[in-house]
Amino acid sequence: MLMLLTTLGVGAQGFLKFQKDSIPMFRGFAVSFDLVGAAQKLLSDHGQYEGALRLNLHDQYFPIVEVGYGYANHEKDEVTDISYKTSAPYFRLGVDVNVMKKKHTGNRVYVGARYGYTSYKVDVSRPTYSDPTWGWQTNYGVSNEPCKQSWTEFLFGVDAKILGPLHLGWSARYKFRLSHDDGIIGKTWYVPGYGLQDTSSLNATFNVIIDI
Amino acid sequence: MRLRALLFAFVVLVIGACSSIDCPVENQVFTVYGVYSGEEVDTLHDTLYVWSKRSDGKDTLLLNRGVNLSNFFLPISNQHPEDILIFLVADTAGHYTLDTVWIKKEDIPHFESVDCNPTFFHRLTSVRSTHRGIDTITINRSSVEYETTSSTAHFHIDFKARR
Repeated sequence: MLMLLTTLGVGAQGFLKFQKDSIPMFRGFAVSFDLVGAAQKLLSDHGQYEGALRLNLHDQYFPIVEVGYGYANHEKDEVTDISYKTSAPYFRLGVDVNVMKKKHTGNRVYVGARYGYTSYKVDVSRPTYSDPTWGWQTNYGVSNEPCKQSWTEFLFGVDAKILGPLHLGWSARYKFRLSHDDGIIGKTWYVPGYGLQDTSSLNATFNVIIDI
Repeated sequence: MRLRALLFAFVVLVIGACSSIDCPVENQVFTVYGVYSGEEVDTLHDTLYVWSKRSDGKDTLLLNRGVNLSNFFLPISNQHPEDILIFLVADTAGHYTLDTVWIKKEDIPHFESVDCNPTFFHRLTSVRSTHRGIDTITINRSSVEYETTSSTAHFHIDFKARR
């Protein structure tokens, strides 16, 4: 977080200064829930339930903690017969910056950054099959293989005031893997909080936000 | 109002999202044998056959009529603790030598994605042979992963004096 703030400060001199007006610096908290991850979880074999607590500093800076629980249960792939299962919590820490000129209207356009981390265990299995050359029976898979990953995200988002304390917002996120340990199996598939495994990925959230 | 239009655009984007399958193109796991004479790369001018016994007791030919070989490639079993290979070297005069090679290894299941076929990587732990035609066989590189025909040899094999 400190590194991010430093970077922003260096990149644009004065960028981190609060606008001078009569609005107080502390503007309260907001809680939010991501609908995209929940829809993924309900409609596919992987997804996550995720909520966030965000601090509003002068409608300008929004330090945020996002926590969630990711699931994947891919049963017997129709081509490879491989099953993949994991479920684990994750968190992200970061900050959003409202880049709109009029910052106190209730509608916001953000840029932001996150640091994410998860520690998870995977089960990979496949029904026994024959070695193609020798014909010996092959048992493929791992159980409770411990893995971990950290990553960073850069995001662009929009937050619209709908009614009273209710906001709706979305964010598009570009994620970069910082470090990963995929256990003995070489790679993993779904990583809680990150999505499908790759060196980078593009994801999105759609948030229901309530000011408190 | 503009923000609400953006919200709608986002929902359309999410619905239209697609996925891709990224399995490695070079996904063959096999062992590479380098023919050596002492420390020097050599060529086996005689004809080499290699086979093994399947789980059903029948023979399976792994290398047929290899001639002028400086290196050659053989499969490695997925999960059998020891591979037993029969090497037959025949010359043009009809003489031949027959050797047995025993390869011990550790097998490591390798996973790419649920979309990619399962594979095993291996760590070679020991190799031994009879010595009728084979002088020495040693492990040069113990890690067997996705390999290509230009990969560094896993085994250095030195055949006895021949034409």
